[in-house]
Amino acid sequence: MVAAVRGCGGVWRRVWQCGAGGSASLGQCAAASSARGAVAPAGKSGLAPWVPVVGLEIHAQISSNSKLFSGSQVQFAAPPNSVVSFFDASLPGTLPVINRRCVEAAVMTGLALNCSINKRSLFDRKHYFYADLPAGYQITQQRVPIAVNGTLSYSLCTDHKMSQMVTKTVRIKQIQLEQDSGKSLHDDSRSQTLVDLNRAGVGLMEVVMEPDMCCGKEAAAAVRELQLILQTLGSSHAVMAEGQLRVDANVSVHHPGEPYGVRTEVKNINSLRFLAKAVDYEIQRQIEELENGGTILNETRAFDSKLGCTVPMRDKEGKQDYRFMPEPNLPPLILYDTKSLPANINHQQVVNIDRIHERLPDLPSVKRAKLVEQYGILPEHSFTLLNEDGLTEFFESVVKRTQMKPKKVIGWILNDLLSYLNQHSLTVKESPVNSSMLADLLNLLEKKEISSTAAKQVLGELWKGEGKTPLEIVKEKKLELIQDQEALEQICQAVIDGQKNEVMAIKAGNHKVLNKLIGLVQRKTQGRSNPVLVKQLLEKKLLD
Amino acid sequence: MRALSLGRWLRGAVRARSDGPGRARPVPGSPQKVTVDVLDHLEHLALVDFRDSEGVERLQKAIQFADQLHEVNTDGVEPMDSVLEDRCLYLREDDVTEGNCTKELLKNAREKVEEYFVAPPGNIPLPKLEEQETYLQSS
Amino acid sequence: MLRASLREVSAALKEGHVTPTELCQRCLALIKSTKFVNAYITVVEETALKQAEESEKRYRTGQPLGVLDGIPIAVKDNFSTAGIETTCASEMLKGYIPPYSATVVQKLLDQGAVLLGKTNLDEFAMGSGSTDGVFGPVRNPWSYSRQYKEKSVPKSHPEDEDSNWVIAGGSSGGSAAAVSSFTCFAALGSDTGGSTRNPAAHCGVVGLKPTYGLISRHGLIPLVNSMDVPGILTRCVDDAAVVLGSLAGHDPKDSTTIQDNFKPFELPNLIDVSKLSIGIPKEYHAPGLSSEILALWSKAADLFKNAGANVIEVSLPHTHYSIVCYHVLCTAEVASNMARFDGLEYGHRSDMNKSTESMYAATRREGFNDVVRGRILSGNYFLLKQNYENYFVKAQKVRRLIANDFMKVFRSGVDILLTPTTLSDAVPYIEFIKEDNRTRSAQDDILTQAANMAGLPAISVPTALSERGLPIGLQFIGRSFQENQLLTVARWFEKQVKFPMIELEEVKRHDHGVFQHQKSASFS
Repeated sequence: MVAAVRGCGGVWRRVWQCGAGGSASLGQCAAASSARGAVAPAGKSGLAPWVPVVGLEIHAQISSNSKLFSGSQVQFAAPPNSVVSFFDASLPGTLPVINRRCVEAAVMTGLALNCSINKRSLFDRKHYFYADLPAGYQITQQRVPIAVNGTLSYSLCTDHKMSQMVTKTVRIKQIQLEQDSGKSLHDDSRSQTLVDLNRAGVGLMEVVMEPDMCCGKEAAAAVRELQLILQTLGSSHAVMAEGQLRVDANVSVHHPGEPYGVRTEVKNINSLRFLAKAVDYEIQRQIEELENGGTILNETRAFDSKLGCTVPMRDKEGKQDYRFMPEPNLPPLILYDTKSLPANINHQQVVNIDRIHERLPDLPSVKRAKLVEQYGILPEHSFTLLNEDGLTEFFESVVKRTQMKPKKVIGWILNDLLSYLNQHSLTVKESPVNSSMLADLLNLLEKKEISSTAAKQVLGELWKGEGKTPLEIVKEKKLELIQDQEALEQICQAVIDGQKNEVMAIKAGNHKVLNKLIGLVQRKTQGRSNPVLVKQLLEKKLLD
Repeated sequence: MRALSLGRWLRGAVRARSDGPGRARPVPGSPQKVTVDVLDHLEHLALVDFRDSEGVERLQKAIQFADQLHEVNTDGVEPMDSVLEDRCLYLREDDVTEGNCTKELLKNAREKVEEYFVAPPGNIPLPKLEEQETYLQSS
Repeated sequence: MLRASLREVSAALKEGHVTPTELCQRCLALIKSTKFVNAYITVVEETALKQAEESEKRYRTGQPLGVLDGIPIAVKDNFSTAGIETTCASEMLKGYIPPYSATVVQKLLDQGAVLLGKTNLDEFAMGSGSTDGVFGPVRNPWSYSRQYKEKSVPKSHPEDEDSNWVIAGGSSGGSAAAVSSFTCFAALGSDTGGSTRNPAAHCGVVGLKPTYGLISRHGLIPLVNSMDVPGILTRCVDDAAVVLGSLAGHDPKDSTTIQDNFKPFELPNLIDVSKLSIGIPKEYHAPGLSSEILALWSKAADLFKNAGANVIEVSLPHTHYSIVCYHVLCTAEVASNMARFDGLEYGHRSDMNKSTESMYAATRREGFNDVVRGRILSGNYFLLKQNYENYFVKAQKVRRLIANDFMKVFRSGVDILLTPTTLSDAVPYIEFIKEDNRTRSAQDDILTQAANMAGLPAISVPTALSERGLPIGLQFIGRSFQENQLLTVARWFEKQVKFPMIELEEVKRHDHGVFQHQKSASFS
């Protein structure tokens, strides 16, 4: 981006990295990395480096039957204004009544994020006018939210090969319960805005992440981990494409040792990929702006996914003052634990933090650790397994049905199955190769009935989804390994006889050349020879 | 009632001093400095205009009246949200008991399109003070 | 018949001395001939008669739903009534027909009560005279009483009669006037700063403000959510107990109703006040309190003393600040509660179409009167970030001090407080409108407001007529959720003072009923 041109679509001037390898680090990764002498965003020649600071506000729709303060249904894509109650439409005289399930979801999430749960939390009104906010205010928790002071650990790869994973932590400032707004559909052609209140009043958990992140990658990884946690808990489906998880990013830059810079808020980010892009773009934009002597406005920007850049949002111009006020229609929300639970209380009116804690399912980090321990796979493998919906189940199912060691199975899952699915944009559920098919195939390999090259060939055939079993394909394509040792010996001898130079080199001590001979034997047998066996035979002939 | 002399004075006061843009000028006759900026800000936040000098005076009197609160010593006193502060919030079961009343809801709306409520385009903010035709700017 | 109490007429219905339909018809006719009172905004003749018919069927088969079956009632027009226009006396809600009924309205209907109509009020319940609504002011029925005409209207100027009418008080003036003029046997009002007790005192009826949290506010279009309560206006204290019994209790639709079980109670006939401690708060001897009322208050204290009660002077030191405190908290909540009126989903909508914001602004300019708009602007001012601590939070702290004042007094052994309800009897309309709404409210709410601050139950009982022939009421304030004790004391007092019945020409003409109410010696 050239400073004079406001727009995007240029090559970034500098590429900077963050999160150079090592252990968990709190706070700005750039500072940490510069301490290790790694690359920090370099300024223009001679200028001090920049420290980007990224905080996130994540809104997760609570998975519940009815809304936070009313009994209308939570339903995606329902006919317009069909799941709206009188309260949601702000008819005068209607009052909020809180949904216990939403409270439990927030407590679960707070516990999973290591927060302190506030046994007494309060509700407030946040005032502003907008067509999709019928009451002219949103009920939220500004003063005393339901959970505070937690942490979220997440990991990212420092390179593309997924071979080096770094664990990071981000502090969770708080989790608050609040209402979602309706939807306004701008119809510019007819100069009108259509308002659908179906979403108005749906329960949200706002998770506030402190500005402990420093780039788009970290932000995306943190959100991804949160998403997995929410889905594991069941407190939110957290599907970004359906608007169940929305992220606002707060971005600023400053020089090390100086106070934080002015921050901008980037809204309208509805995918992890866009999140990373938006954050990185904004960091770059701010750096360039400041280096060119400009200033950063404390404004709200939107991410334009087509252009790949952030633009100021017109709607939010002007000074905003939300005039927070306690919500008078909601007494304090009281939660209990086993110690504080009074004797004669109606259990329907009780949310017991301890009971919820006991019933928490294994969180992703625990699941991963278990996978590593149980199957001997690498941590980065466990990440990929959990990251892909259904992949863990697939893997475990294959492991159960095959004698092949999980350490080897994982390779097939991650390198072959997953890359195929990604290439064709398929989910695990949509895979034409199911776990029993793959297991059968791997068994053939394990029993040395086929070579690994052959196995890959068979897999390729299985993708076609023609309904043939691996064994059928092997037979059809004649991919069985040659079992006849004598015949194999003969072929080895033939190759030896034809490669006099290579034989000499091997006998002279260059054993690497053996691989070439193995390759030739493979070719001669059309891949139907077991390379290990071939190697043994060749060695016997040449080195004994 | 368009008692506009105050308005003229206000604008006159704003324009008379030319030292810097957007400087707040106190409204005369009020011990509390309610500036024109604040009045404009309030009108935007409340989407209610003062209409005339009476409106502005009303606000000033209201503030004056409220200032009496500062005579009371409230050291160590906690604010009271409600007399029910020691009670706990009633929890409802997660059942679908409402909704499905599109017709009833739309019945009271003056304007609608199919099954949507309809508003004018976007949330184009009200024009700034200089462009408005409200009392604060009129002459 | 129309002048009987609720209980009496209910017994008459049961005995068959009168039918619900007759009763309903008579009330409707009286409403028509007292139209000048302007107590009603909407009269629902058809549905009322239908309800009366249903009630009649039940009485005929000997299966009435309860004491309220067939009883004509009226409801203040800030309660939602399904299918019946609910305006809050504002342009903003003219034509608004709610799709649901307030819980209290539904409860009355479920008991078989006959809803005659919606009564007049100050716009959005803001005011103390019921003079600031778009349907015009409510006239105190006592303006047309023989008692007032005798004392106050000079005989030589009959044309002055019309300009000499006095206010009904507010903001539930319509409901108070409706009960006072015998067009219904009970009415619902609302009470935020005295809006039920004030008009009750001026119109010579009983006005009960229950404890905050006892009766559901679901469907009551709010003024100040943390202080509003539905109010009950009746002809006598016992009737108020009956209505209270049918309304109180937890409502799952209103999270500010307490979850404790409520047991309806019957007031005892024989009451012994000698074991009670009656507190007389000295700060309620407020500047502007008429000497008449002061004397009456003193007499009332003596009444209790002579009956053996322990009557002592107490102090509620922060009383003076309750109006200022109320002013800040009320305007702040108003600013918030009125934010929903934008014309998009219901109510008035401006033709202005340039943008959503300008449409909202125009709608609100056209829909709200100056009083409402003034409070919205003040309220927003107090909620601004820079002012929130200094004004709103400060007021909340003062609120606690006011509530604590009451706590201290009740903890010291006082059972009930006895105070005046208003500073004077009802003033003529032409005088009332000389001062602006906020000033008036500030003056008039001074004796009633603190009970709302503290959420305490309070009741105004008609005590005697003033020199001008107008009603004066005295107020009792009780402990939270101790309505039983409060109403018992009030009932005893009512029996002692024997407040005279209003003598209205129109009523005499309509009421050739079985009952002839005696006019007993009055208290003054």
